[in-house]
Amino acid sequence: MPKNNISNRKMMPHMRRKLATTTGLVMLAFGALCLRIYAINRDNGDKYTRQVLSQQEYDSIVLPYKRGDILDSKGTTMASSEKVYNVILDSKLAGVDEKTIQATTQALAKCFRLNASELTKYIKDNPTSQYYILSKKLTYDEIASFVELQNDTKNNPDIKGVWFEEEYIRVYPNNSMACDVIGWTDKDFKGHYGLEEYYDDILRGTNGREYGYLNEESALERTTKPAVDGNSIVTTLDANIQSIVEKYLEEFNNTYKNAYRDGNGAQNTGCIIMNIHTGEIMAMASYPFYNLNDIYNTDPLIGTTLLDVNGKAQDEVITEDTLKRLDTDTKYANLNNLWKNFSINNTYEPGSVSKVLTVAGALESGKISGNETYFCGGYLEKGGHEIHCHNRLGDGMLTVKQAVEKSCNVALMHIGEAEGKTNFLQFQQLFNLGLKTNLDLAGESRTASLVYNEKTMGEAELATSTFGQGFNVTMIQMISAFSSIINGGYYYEPHIVSKIISSDGTTVKNIEPRLLKQTVSESTSDKIIDYCNGVVTEGTGTTARPAGYAIGGKTGTAEMAPRTKRNYVVSFMGYAPANNPDIAIYVVVDRPNAAAQDDAKYATRIVRKILTEVLPYLGYPMTEELSEKEATELEENKLLLHAPKTVEADANNGQENENGEKVTNEEGTTITVTEGSNLTEGIQKEGSEPTLSPEEEALNAQEEEWKKRLESYEKDPETGYLIEPGTGLLIDPQTGALVEGDSYME
Amino acid sequence: MAGRKKEKVQHYYDYTIIISVLLLFGIGLIMIYSTSSYQATLDYGDAAYYLKKQAIAGAIGFVFMLIFSLIDYRIYRKLFLFTVPLSIIMIFLVLTPLGVTVKGARRWLDVGIGFRFQPAEVVKLCMIIYTAAMVCIAGQKVIETFVGTLKIVIIPMIMGALVWKITDNLSSGFIIVGIAAVMVFVATRNYKVYIFSGIGAALLATGLVYYIKQTANVESSGFRAARILAWLDPEAYASGKGYQTVQALYAIGNGGYFGKGLGESMQKLGFIPEAQNDMIFSIICEEMGLVGASIIIFLFLFLIFKCSIVAYNASDMFGGFLVIGVIAHIAIQVFLNIAVVTNLIPNTGISLPFISYGGSSILFLFIEMGLVFSVSRQIKLD
Repeated sequence: MPKNNISNRKMMPHMRRKLATTTGLVMLAFGALCLRIYAINRDNGDKYTRQVLSQQEYDSIVLPYKRGDILDSKGTTMASSEKVYNVILDSKLAGVDEKTIQATTQALAKCFRLNASELTKYIKDNPTSQYYILSKKLTYDEIASFVELQNDTKNNPDIKGVWFEEEYIRVYPNNSMACDVIGWTDKDFKGHYGLEEYYDDILRGTNGREYGYLNEESALERTTKPAVDGNSIVTTLDANIQSIVEKYLEEFNNTYKNAYRDGNGAQNTGCIIMNIHTGEIMAMASYPFYNLNDIYNTDPLIGTTLLDVNGKAQDEVITEDTLKRLDTDTKYANLNNLWKNFSINNTYEPGSVSKVLTVAGALESGKISGNETYFCGGYLEKGGHEIHCHNRLGDGMLTVKQAVEKSCNVALMHIGEAEGKTNFLQFQQLFNLGLKTNLDLAGESRTASLVYNEKTMGEAELATSTFGQGFNVTMIQMISAFSSIINGGYYYEPHIVSKIISSDGTTVKNIEPRLLKQTVSESTSDKIIDYCNGVVTEGTGTTARPAGYAIGGKTGTAEMAPRTKRNYVVSFMGYAPANNPDIAIYVVVDRPNAAAQDDAKYATRIVRKILTEVLPYLGYPMTEELSEKEATELEENKLLLHAPKTVEADANNGQENENGEKVTNEEGTTITVTEGSNLTEGIQKEGSEPTLSPEEEALNAQEEEWKKRLESYEKDPETGYLIEPGTGLLIDPQTGALVEGDSYME
Repeated sequence: MAGRKKEKVQHYYDYTIIISVLLLFGIGLIMIYSTSSYQATLDYGDAAYYLKKQAIAGAIGFVFMLIFSLIDYRIYRKLFLFTVPLSIIMIFLVLTPLGVTVKGARRWLDVGIGFRFQPAEVVKLCMIIYTAAMVCIAGQKVIETFVGTLKIVIIPMIMGALVWKITDNLSSGFIIVGIAAVMVFVATRNYKVYIFSGIGAALLATGLVYYIKQTANVESSGFRAARILAWLDPEAYASGKGYQTVQALYAIGNGGYFGKGLGESMQKLGFIPEAQNDMIFSIICEEMGLVGASIIIFLFLFLIFKCSIVAYNASDMFGGFLVIGVIAHIAIQVFLNIAVVTNLIPNTGISLPFISYGGSSILFLFIEMGLVFSVSRQIKLD
């Protein structure tokens, strides 16, 4: 520094010294500032860092995503998300001065029926509180009046410190409709049961976030990362069909509840309707229902069997008094059971409906041709057991078709014998029994351990399996297998969602029907349809036929273990229209509330009622003549209105065949409507053929012996029941069943 | 030194001054962009809104700095008496329709075409010129007397009071008086008076603070008393008067020794309102840590040191005191700003020179630097 060369005439030495001093002082002062910053970090660094993080969280708002809707195939909303608002009070802003407090509390009091003086007290007592929830889950209409006041800043400049936190609630507009299928969401929007659980990832979105603060002028200043709404799913359900199904399941319950024992009309009543060409579920329901908007309501439990905490059934039916004394855990165990979907979760022995599967398997494997004749003397000895037909009197001589029509256990055991264990099990697997169907619903049961395999199946097991006892299935397994048998052999994976759409309505994914395998051939399929049509026209399933329509199907009366309890699962599995099936229907009534449960009519009547409405709704023209009784009945229920064309066509048919007992429909198939057909009538005709092989002679000999035995039965003079010689058991001469409930094994 | 190497150069130009000024201004631009982009996007849809305005003000300021560096400062000595009426006019203009009220304080003048400035900045410059001239005129004997000193500082004190009362800007008024005080401190031989008056002022302030603490509460007292209470225990008033201070402290604490990294401040996301203004240093601490903050403080010190060399070697006393005035201005504002941010003193609005956002502040700081260069140009090298 060339100091000496610079002129210093004017700056005096003491000034230079003081300048240096000043500069030195500035250095000291600035050094002190650095120390201060150091001290802040050393003493409070961690604390302040935590504060920064915590208030970051505090002052940013989660923007909730909208969970996707669940729609039926026609676009009816079955589940949706509705935006609601929480009213939040920020005392810091609302309490800046008396004027603001007054204006704000008065507006709040007016619009939300809150107490103004209490609010004032809260604001004054908690001046730093920024998040106080005044009211929860209000709809926009409910907050609209306040928003109006708040936005009218000209007239109400002093309303401050109130804002609305948005939230969604899950709404099920149809309350209990399709409850088992839809499922529900908890408060965190996690899906439980049904579609809500299975499609949780699809329906779920991503929360957004709003970072922001209230500046000195109390204005909201925010930046937003918007939420990504979840996708919606379009199901294959049809709300109309679903409601028809549910109406009749409920009606069944109302008819039979407390009829014989206390409680519901049945332990469970389930119904599935399926499109057999695609595997699409059109309706699925099981009684008892519950309200999806009020899942913890225990009222639907009334009438069901009480379960203990571990879900074990108790010997008690739940009443209102029971509910009062139940502890939370037990209540929860019972609710859990209620929320389950009977149609896919519960396993049971299918009973005679599975005879269709047995016969289809035997035909397809070539072990029987369908032209065989079997003799039923009421029982057959298999594996050291006397296995009875449900007709203890015996069905006599039967063709394969008649065996299906009359649901003869003995004939089926013969068929099973012909088919053999290996083939039988192979077909069981081909029909997907023991395997999951992979229906797109949460909660499908695994049944792998509930069917026999080569090792576990002995002679007796094969015998009982042929008529659906000894192994367990789910409803969805049965109807899926059945659909494949009657649609020409195409096994479709059952499914319930057909389309995924984004929140703006564009299609994200179409879910096409998935053909998994060929179960049987076209010809087997045709034969089975012929047999099943027979079941409804002249067999055990006549009561399932809806007026004006021809359908086919198979009844089932399965005896539950333990056999001594005389508990039954009765069912009907059918399809419509009879000759060109499109839809399959399966109704299962688990332990009907009746003295004698072993009557498939509990199921067939439900089927008839459902189809009476569903078929016209689906636009199927009536093909059968209406009896006068049927016509009046339809008229009364105003169901004819659904199918005006059908009435015309039917009228034409009626004229042409005015005097005929038999009605020929367009396809030329003869359908005979016989009610209460006599046991032995038809059989004898078919049994007497001119040339006899040794086997046939043996059969005839059996028949002769059987006829003699029938004559030995005595009639109970009071009731008209037959008394079985030796055992003294009473037998209904009409059905051949034991009066106090049948058992295929003693 | 640049001058020493080039023997032929007649004028003393210290380029390190201009480099450190531009460095500070550049850091300021970066930090303004970092702190304001979030809010600017929200308010104006343009993240660089504040950055652009500051850059334009800086460019204009730079041109003014060059112009003023070329003007011979000695003419101000002749014109110094005009600074008093100019200051008064400027102050009272805020009461005319030209005055603009921002955030409740009428301290701005709008001269149209979107240009708005604080008359207090003009007054600061005027009072630097006035005091420097008065020191030269008064003569050493007069200065050393109490009355003589008073004669010099009475006008800056009046101006400070007017700035406080008329434009409602206590801190600027205080700075004006502070600049004059530093200048007379350098001019006199006396230490004792300043030491005693310094101790006296400290005792008085302590007493006042104690009194306020004992008697006042936030609800009943005026906002200045409330600010003092909030200063003493900012976290107790974290939701009210202490909010800004507490948030600034959080930012500093969050930054730690090495900072969260440039652009990584969380506190600027709305927690520190208008962080690009007076509280920008807290965001500097948060993003660059103690290290970055110390570097900036060091840059200021370097600038002040270099300016004091110019003042030390000034060719005449007037030039020397002009530079001392500028030094005092920068040093006081830097100290007070950082002291507020670190809660060493009660919260009051003081911007950080060259770094805080604010067009008129930047413009007049550059003009003041122009004066420094003008003075340094006259330093003759043999």
